[in-house]
Amino acid sequence: MADPPRSPDIEPHTTPRWVKVSAIIAAVVVLLVLIVLVTGGPGGRHGPSRHTGGLGGHTLPARVTAHGV
Amino acid sequence: MTMPPRLRRFALAVHLTVSVGWIGAVAAYMALDIAAATSQDSQTLRTAYLAMEVIARNVIVPLAFAALLTGLVMSLGTKWGLFRHYWVLISLLLTIVATVVLLVETQTISYFADKAADPTTSGDELRALGSTLVHSVGGTVVLLVILVLNLYKPQGMTRHGWRKQHEQRRKQREQRTVRVP
Repeated sequence: MADPPRSPDIEPHTTPRWVKVSAIIAAVVVLLVLIVLVTGGPGGRHGPSRHTGGLGGHTLPARVTAHGV
Repeated sequence: MTMPPRLRRFALAVHLTVSVGWIGAVAAYMALDIAAATSQDSQTLRTAYLAMEVIARNVIVPLAFAALLTGLVMSLGTKWGLFRHYWVLISLLLTIVATVVLLVETQTISYFADKAADPTTSGDELRALGSTLVHSVGGTVVLLVILVLNLYKPQGMTRHGWRKQHEQRRKQREQRTVRVP
């Protein structure tokens, strides 16, 4: 005999699969970004700190100073 | 508090305009960013960096804040709520992250524009500045994800939304039993 249909009122809370999959993808992306930030990545130092020094003062980016310009 | 239908429609029109406008402005910015990343011509680089700052400061940043603000109004003023549905919550978080990264990135863009505006900056220095292409491509992907979430509104309630729904249903049942002796 089939179970009687359950009332939506008593259905337990479940996290949808698309949320779980999205969370895994987001975690992988964040991990990759962190790896790039820590290792310096293919483009050298990352973030605005590579262009700005200290209290808003500007310094030449690493690539410019590396070229000796 | 739920907005009356006319006000809700107007708020939705404003929210759609600024949100899609944000994506359009980023597309225009990205065209300049690609020029900054690929061109070797000093004149093109100088123009691109200056225009990138104008678009970022005067168009993209205001649209980002407008989208965030109207999004809050839309979620709080309708049945969707802010923390009840996963698609609303994820859209909110992504919009906040995109806005924060944009504000940080604006410092870099201003630095590029300052260098480009300085007539003593040489062509080699301009070519060494690089671009913000990684951020503009990443930002576009995030904005498109938000757009898809808002269009399709995938099902799924958060634990908070699920609890609220149950409370509401219990109250409705109680009211019905009071009315029917």
